[in-house]
Amino acid sequence: MTDRASPAFVNFRTRDGGPALGAVIAPVLLLGLWQAACMAGLFPVQILVPPSVVGSTLVSMAGSGELQHHVTDSLYRLILGFAIGTFAGLVFGTIIALSRLAEAAFSPLFLTLWQVPVIAFVPMMVIFLGIDEPFKIAVVAVAAFFPVALATFDGIRGVPKAWFDVARVYRTRLPDLIWRILVPATVPAVLTGLRVALTRAWVVLVAAELLAADSGIGQMMEMGRQLFQIDVVLAGVIVSGLIGFLLDRGARTIEQRATRWRTA
Amino acid sequence: MNRLLANPFIRIALGFIAPLLLFGWWQWQTSTHVTTFAPPSAIGKAFAEMIGDGTLASGIQATLRRAFTGLAVGAPLGIAIGMATAVWRPLDRVLSPLLNALRQVPMIGWLPLMGLWFGVGEGTELIVVSMAAFFPSMLNSHAGVAQVERRYLDVGRIYGFTTPQRFRLILLPAAMPMILTGLTQALAFSWIATIGTEILMGADAGLGVTMQLAQTQQRLDMMLVVLAATAALGFAINQAFLRLRRFLLRWQPSAL
Repeated sequence: MTDRASPAFVNFRTRDGGPALGAVIAPVLLLGLWQAACMAGLFPVQILVPPSVVGSTLVSMAGSGELQHHVTDSLYRLILGFAIGTFAGLVFGTIIALSRLAEAAFSPLFLTLWQVPVIAFVPMMVIFLGIDEPFKIAVVAVAAFFPVALATFDGIRGVPKAWFDVARVYRTRLPDLIWRILVPATVPAVLTGLRVALTRAWVVLVAAELLAADSGIGQMMEMGRQLFQIDVVLAGVIVSGLIGFLLDRGARTIEQRATRWRTA
Repeated sequence: MNRLLANPFIRIALGFIAPLLLFGWWQWQTSTHVTTFAPPSAIGKAFAEMIGDGTLASGIQATLRRAFTGLAVGAPLGIAIGMATAVWRPLDRVLSPLLNALRQVPMIGWLPLMGLWFGVGEGTELIVVSMAAFFPSMLNSHAGVAQVERRYLDVGRIYGFTTPQRFRLILLPAAMPMILTGLTQALAFSWIATIGTEILMGADAGLGVTMQLAQTQQRLDMMLVVLAATAALGFAINQAFLRLRRFLLRWQPSAL
């Protein structure tokens, strides 16, 4: 009884060190089960192919350069769109945070649009931009814009008013005010916003590629579905999951590095 | 300036500047260039038309039904598994790495695979929406139970609580704020997933389906009516849920 009362805490405490081995065992076990189930003929080949087949599909797609082609196209869209959306978000967030007039003029529209899932803008953007490259980059940019703008706004508004007063007393020039007070104070909030933006941008990009594209991970899956190539679809699921995971992990690492001074 | 902004009427009036500029630009575009877009003045007409032939009502109904069915399937499952993995360690060891791996795939990325397995239609859409609701519910419930303060459980042990008592009287109430946070996220996610799958699959009725239809017909006016409906509904659902949350957590000393 007493021992059973505490696993929640044991679990919680050993999170960091303990289950390193378990983290390896579980996926291996899963792959083994999947392979065994397919080999035992539990699923028809049209429904589920064994991981070995998915693996060899991945290898052959990588060999022919097809996989790299899809991945680089998707990543190019992601990076370009993310850069545009982030820049716009930073500028917009800063403006509405610093100027009460701009806030009154723009934030109602901004907050209204914020209520709409980004994916709901996709059909409208297709009307304006067609289904080519600009559309996909714009979708990523819009997905990145909102979280970054909001985080920047919150970050700057979160700076204590006293800091501005001190800056005024010292007659700090505007560039110094921005670089030495505003930027360091807002970096943690903005980085969190950037991470959220990156993850969302990836999700929305895959969705946009499913809808209309001639290349990219989403398109690879959609073509696989239309041609009933379950191995290609599964390969796409794995690759898109892996990229999503790496993006999130990378962003988290940067976030922790950059905000270390806070706790130190 | 600041005194001017303190006036609520002036603030509200200012808030209309940006949308009006947008509409003005749009009207100017449609009147000076020959475009395929309807002018903004057509929005009112489109709204009336869509109310009249029932497109809007049936779309809203279908989307709401889909989102809440997905939520009703995914969220309880997520809460149950999240709490179970937090309480029972072996299950956590087996299930969590698997679920964490599945979680990395973009929600909508499941659509082609599910489409292949279950066909293009209602079933696939509901599965994806349920998955969207499942993960946030699971993660937050797990964290909520795992973070229950140890002294609460110690008190329970002193009183000789049985396992069901411990669950009902300690774990569940202590984890409730996190569970509700998970539900709030699940609600938002299932809403997004519903609209997304409707746009991508275009099966049956729904706001996303109507949007997709408006896109193929180049009906910008119709699109904006649906977008406005989506925004208003999303906002209303979110507000309603926040109220429910405040009601359920009214025993807490400080507001969250």
